[in-house]
Order: sequence, then C-alpha cells, then structure tokens
Amino acid sequence: MKEKILKKDQVKQLHEDLSRYYSFYAPTKVKGNIVFKKITNPEDIELEYLNSKIPPKEILFPRMETLFSYKIDEKNIEIEPRTDLEEKILIFGVRPCDAYSFSLLETFFNFGQFKDDLFMKKKENTVVIGLACNTPRATCFCTSLDYNGHPHRKDDVDIFLTDLGENYLVNPISETGKAIIDKLAWLSEANNDDLQKAEELSKKAESLISTKLDLQHTAEILDPSFNHPLWKEVSENCLGCGTCTFLCPTCTCFDVVEDVDHYNNRGKRVRIWDTCQFCLYTLETSGHNPRNTKIERCRNRVLHKFNYYPKNYDLIGCVGCGRCIHLCPVNNDLREIIKKINAIKNENKKEEVVVA
Amino acid sequence: MVKQMGDIQAENVEIEKKMREVARSLLIEKEVDVIIGYARGTVPLSSSPIFIKNVEDIDSLIWDNLCYVNLARYVVPPLTEFVDNEKVELKVGIVSKGCVARALIHLAKEKQVDPEKIKIIGIPCNGVVNRRRIEKELGEKEVLEISVSNDQVIVKGKDFEEVLPYQDYLNELCKTCKVKSPPMSSSLSDVIVGESIEISSVEDDFSDLSEYESKTPEEKWEVITELLSDCTRCYACREACPMCYCNLCFVDQNKPIWFGKTSEMSDIIVFHLVRAMHMAGRCVGCGACSSVCPMGIDLKLINRKLEKIVKERFDFTAGLSLDVMPPMMTQKMEDSEDFMLGEH
Repeated sequence: MKEKILKKDQVKQLHEDLSRYYSFYAPTKVKGNIVFKKITNPEDIELEYLNSKIPPKEILFPRMETLFSYKIDEKNIEIEPRTDLEEKILIFGVRPCDAYSFSLLETFFNFGQFKDDLFMKKKENTVVIGLACNTPRATCFCTSLDYNGHPHRKDDVDIFLTDLGENYLVNPISETGKAIIDKLAWLSEANNDDLQKAEELSKKAESLISTKLDLQHTAEILDPSFNHPLWKEVSENCLGCGTCTFLCPTCTCFDVVEDVDHYNNRGKRVRIWDTCQFCLYTLETSGHNPRNTKIERCRNRVLHKFNYYPKNYDLIGCVGCGRCIHLCPVNNDLREIIKKINAIKNENKKEEVVVA
Repeated sequence: MVKQMGDIQAENVEIEKKMREVARSLLIEKEVDVIIGYARGTVPLSSSPIFIKNVEDIDSLIWDNLCYVNLARYVVPPLTEFVDNEKVELKVGIVSKGCVARALIHLAKEKQVDPEKIKIIGIPCNGVVNRRRIEKELGEKEVLEISVSNDQVIVKGKDFEEVLPYQDYLNELCKTCKVKSPPMSSSLSDVIVGESIEISSVEDDFSDLSEYESKTPEEKWEVITELLSDCTRCYACREACPMCYCNLCFVDQNKPIWFGKTSEMSDIIVFHLVRAMHMAGRCVGCGACSSVCPMGIDLKLINRKLEKIVKERFDFTAGLSLDVMPPMMTQKMEDSEDFMLGEH
C-alpha cells in the first residue's frame, strides 16, 4: 500500500474522524510537562516534542488501576467487574522507543502460566500511530539496543508518521493500520520527493544519536558480579526515590491495595505502580528485607533490565529512551553504570580475578 | 535588599578553589575520612553528589549554581565502614552552603548527627538555578549547555541560545534565603571550617506569601490541589529531604495502613500535607524537594508558610544554632495551639 501525506493542519480532521471510533490519546502539555492524555480538543495535541515525561505505557498500565469494585451489605459481597475493557484505544504520536516498549510490556504481561488479562485486553484493543524521532536527545541510545532500535523504527506501530516539515509522511504498517488509512480517503498521495526526504531524515536522526553503549556482553558479565564492589559505588549517591522506575517505559511492577469507602460499604481493589527502589518492595511479613539497602535496590534495577530480562526472554529490558538518565535527581547515569559493568570484563581478563 | 551582583562565574571559581583547599587539608590531616561534595553532572542542569576518600580525587569537587541536593541528607544514618570486622563511624567533611549547614545543625539538635563526627566545609552560596523552571520554559528544546556569567544564566542548545536574568531564575526559596553561609556560633567553632556568617535571628517579612494569604480557604485548597495534581508519588521530595530520615515513613506504614497509597488526589494531598506537618520548625528551606521533583512541582509555598507560622508563634528559625531548643522538641505551658485547626 502506498504512503500518504497528512498536512499538519489536517491533524484536526484526523482526530475528528478517528475519535469517533477510538479513545484518542496523544501527547499534550500539562503544566510544562509532555504527557499522553485522552484528547477531546485537537488543539491540545503537541507533536513538536522531544519525548513525553511520563511514557505512554501509562495508558495501558496506569499508575492506578481498579481491578474490581465491591459492595458489602450485612453478609453479602457483591463484586462489580470492570466494564470498560472493550474501549477501543488509539495512541497517536508515539516515539519508536516507546512503541517498542509496548512489545516488551506484552512480553512480560503475557508470559507463562499467569497472564495479565487487563493489560492484554487493552493491548488487543489498541492501535498505535508512531511518530519518527527527528530530534533525539543527547541521552538517547536506542541504536545500542538489541531490538534494532532506531529513531525511525517502524516495526512496533500500526501507522508510522514522519515529520517532513510542513507535512507528515504516513506509512501504513500493519493490516489494522492499512484499514484505517483506507478509511481516511481525504489523505493525499505521497510522491518520491517525500519518501526521499523521509529517508534523509532517518539517516540524519541516526547520526544524531551520540550515545553508543556496548551491551553485547553486559548480561554475561553481570552473571558473576552480584557481589562486586561496583554496586556500592554506583548506589552511593542514590536517593532511593522512584523517578528512574516510575518514568521508565519498561518497568512493570505494581502493588495491590484496597481503596475502601467505609461510610458507604463500598470498596475497590486497585493496583498502583510500585518500584524496587522502595523499602517496602521486598519487605517480608517477618520483618526481614532481602534488599535492605540501596545497594541491593540499585543493583536490582540494573540486573532486572540487563541480566534477568535477557535470561528470561532473550531480550534486554530497556528501550534506550534515556529518561532515567536525564531525570535522575542526582545524575546517577545509567550509561556510566553500563560502562563500569563492561569494565569488569577487562578487569577479569587482566587480573584473572574471579568476581563473586 | 538585593545583593549587588558580582561576576558569579568568577565568584564560583574562587569558592571552588577555597573549598578544594579546605577539603584537601581535612583529608591530608586525617581530620575526616570522607568528603561529601558535588561533582559535575553528565547532563546539563545537573550535578552529582560525590563521596571522596582519596586526596587525588579532590579536584572532582565543584561548586556552581546547580549544586541543588542537600548533602546533609547523606549523613543520617551515619556513614560507617568495616575495619577489622568492626563497624566504625566515619568522620565526614561536608561541603555546606547555608542550608546544608542549617540542616546539619538541626539534625544535631535532633540527635541524628554527632557534631564530633562532622566538619562543615562552609561556602558562601550565591544561589541555585531553578532547573525545573528553565526546563519548563524552554519547553521542547533540549538544553545542552548552561553557564552563569555576570547576572545572567546562559542556556544553549542545538539551534538556540537564551539569556535569562539570574535573579529571576533562582530557586524560589533561594530568593528569600537570608542565610547563605553556615551560621557560626561559639558552640560550632570546632565544626565549621571555611566560610561562615554570624547570625542568630532572621528578619523576614514573608511578603512572598501575601498573595496566597489573601485567598479564601476554598481558593487556597484549589491552589494546593492544582500544585500537587501532577505528583507521581515517586517520593523524590521525601528522599531528598535531610529531615525525612524516618526508618519507615508514615505513608509506608502498612500494619495497619494509615494513609491511602493510590494516586487519587485526596491520597496525594494527604501525603504532602501530613509530610508538611512533620516539617514544621524543621524545614531549612533548601529547596532540594523542588529541585529533584521530576514533574517540576515546587513545594516552596508550603515550606514558606510553615516557616512563617513557626517564626510568628515561636520566634524560631530552624538550624541557626545548637544553643536554641527547637519548638517541636520542647513544651511550654504558654505554647499557643491556635495554629492547629486554623484555615491556613
């Protein structure tokens, strides 16, 4: 199917047409922060952005989500399941790294015997319209990752847009994407110049990625490095806040709590974002905490993404968006941590010391 | 009174040089085991707290207008090390602008810091740049370089350069700060090395609060709700706060659960306001909570209001002296209670 052109002033039209069928989510500015919100007024859509502060995973895995509600009277409990899961979701203007994060999230939530029905149902009902990244940040490193990460990667979306200046080049990718484009008969045809321009922008964007990380052997180096002094060193200035994990597009941890309305005999069981950086995360009922200090907690974040993920799914649990790097309050730079890990390998070679 | 601005960059170089000298001699003379200071960040608009044990690393210490973390946060609980299988408490030298020293003094009053185990390396702070405001105002333009020169903040990116007036782009709490260097008193003469000032009481008209105070209780509630509405509950504010040293925060208590943990506005507000209650007469106004918030929430309104209430009712400013008992640590029969249920 052929590529199309969406003029920038037609985004309004696109919103009008598609929001009839979908809950239309797009990046918008809230108090100076770009976040993905359900858009009712297309004027609010903000597509000239670097990347969102909170990743779009928030739409499928919100920071607070009701699992079910209940009513209690005398002896009976009446459970009210979720009824909104049939909602058709469209996420517009997602950067390629975040689009890939949806695949990683699915890998996690759909793994093994216990699948996460809530996430999977929403994922099935979701259409993703990606937006090429022409202006990667200095902290971006998608091209270093194992998924052929690229600022113009098209694989994880249904429709892919490239900002050509005045217009967007529209690439239908999946069958769903093609069907949607078919319905938008008012889109004009793209010509060869448009395609060539997109190609140039793609190359330029790739050249703008200045951070290159060698992640090839990181997983295996980490294997025997559980008790390496490195972890004390890299966690020394960590505050123990949840910034790196809450704003990570691939972090999936949640806690389940009761939100009870005692006065009306009602309640909700909700899941809320949790993070391995908090002291309660691994606190056991006995009072024992296997990850008692920030050393173990910092280590866990790195191991989970760069060792456990590769072991469990044969994938690295990171998309290279760089959010944890530029948002860490104490500048505990993941790139530096990776470099230090990789240096362990050389250390082993040189001195033939077994680290364990 | 607005201070006449010198060349801030030159001032910083001077401060940095003296600070390194003091830190170096403390390590060489073995007066301390470790120096806690700031190192250059790997991304613009940042700095990184650093722990230095070797004299060779002293030149990693920097001072600029992005040293926003309150380093007092790292000494509760005390730093320890195992020597011959025995846990020993380390003696720590801490690079201290006024608010870091004030936090250390207050923590000493609360018996969380042993003054014998610390050296306050005093520096005359010339303010911290409001990094979140700069980020927000530049919007979707990536800052690649930031510098302060004369009375200007110069921010550069790929295709742009912005020059901002330094006085306007300070952290909100730095604008009203009256204690730029560690406050010296006789009981601290062995503890503070480097720069200090003599100050026993702070004069403040709190005029920055008049707009908020003119509002009705409903309007105030709206302001607070709007202020906190983006909170993700990452607790960076709490973790960066030198006064938030509880082993288990009230909001983490789960046997039983005292406070809701959801992201409903009511739960978010309860967290911040109950935390504020715990800050009364303890907050030293360092603004670290605002500098570290990933969403750019500025808690200065709440912190300033607390400061004013405590100043008015108890004539107390936290962290000025080891000789004065903080109001929340003592009780007098004539203590007024009228602030408890007022509409603030």
